[in-house]
Amino acid sequence: MKTENLIAALAADSRTEPPLKAFLWPALALALAAAVLVVWVSLGFRDDLLASLSEPFSVMRFVLTAALGVLGVRLALVLARPEGRSLARLWPVAVPVVAALGLLVWAYVLTPAEGRQMALVGKTMTTCLVMIPLLSVLPVAAILVALRKGATTSPALAGFAAGLGGSGLAAMAYAMHCIEDSPLFYVTWYGLAIGGVTLVSTLIGARVLRW
Amino acid sequence: MDDWGTLLAEANSGDSRAYATFLRTITPVLRGVVRAKAGCLGEAICEDVLQEVLLAVHLKRHTWQAGAPVRPWLYAIARYKVVDAFRARGGKVEVPIEDFDEILAAEAGPDPTEAADMAKMIGLLDNRSGRLVRMIGIEGSSAAEAGQALNMTEGAVRVALHRAFKTLAALRERHLK
Repeated sequence: MKTENLIAALAADSRTEPPLKAFLWPALALALAAAVLVVWVSLGFRDDLLASLSEPFSVMRFVLTAALGVLGVRLALVLARPEGRSLARLWPVAVPVVAALGLLVWAYVLTPAEGRQMALVGKTMTTCLVMIPLLSVLPVAAILVALRKGATTSPALAGFAAGLGGSGLAAMAYAMHCIEDSPLFYVTWYGLAIGGVTLVSTLIGARVLRW
Repeated sequence: MDDWGTLLAEANSGDSRAYATFLRTITPVLRGVVRAKAGCLGEAICEDVLQEVLLAVHLKRHTWQAGAPVRPWLYAIARYKVVDAFRARGGKVEVPIEDFDEILAAEAGPDPTEAADMAKMIGLLDNRSGRLVRMIGIEGSSAAEAGQALNMTEGAVRVALHRAFKTLAALRERHLK
């Protein structure tokens, strides 16, 4: 087929796909609502949820996870565009990570030596490591599907952004249940859960986001 | 916003004449880009790759943000598809790029403006879709004329045509793997 003929055929097709945000925002809102609902129904919110919001260490769980979620989604939106690879900035994502590590060190210094082990292991490590990845499935999937409707030229990095954004939001939902307020606990285990989901999502992205 | 941006914005809002002009304007530029990057694969294959790039531009044109510069967007798609083409053909032929060059240069065959791959892919479409793409592309029929010949409404023709291009891109992916 001559290129001129292909152009004639392409020009006759005036239907365009909807912009991917038209899918992403409703899908992400639903996924997040579902995650909060699952936390509420299966685990229940912590009894002192409102009171805990005046505890700086406790509030930081929401701040850090929300920051990762928002920055991840934003990065994914930039990477969804073909030219996004050269527009994307990675350093904003490092800000909450560095802040979390700083918090970890600070809490380590503040916690008496004999209490560190207990604060680190906590009582709900297993629930945390199981629930955050489970709650991540829908938000991460929503972002990945949106990315497939886009045209990323860096599939692995886009998968990374989807994993970070989705699991950040999922961890925020989980924090409504979680009663562990020591950064020694949550930076470690939330971090591990988010890191694991992000790694898997990076690998998935590298495969499914090609076009 | 430059000329390309104006044309693409009009095209994305459904103006098919502006869209045709846009495609005809970018084609020589893209051909140059593809030849500069994949010239060693031979002219005929370059034209195949160019058509892949055009199909990708077509199906992903909604990812251009109105008001953003068109060139970085367009070149990013072209670069991605050229790299893809190299990977696919490298994997298939399984020879180093240096040897590849000579083999292809030796069997320089068809008219460089006639690309083979897209026709093959169109042959893999279902009969009606294939006929539709050929009628509109090669025979120059309008959507209404093609609809009459195939006993479809004009709306159904547009839906079928759009689906045909999506299928072509999917077939291409599978074919390359």
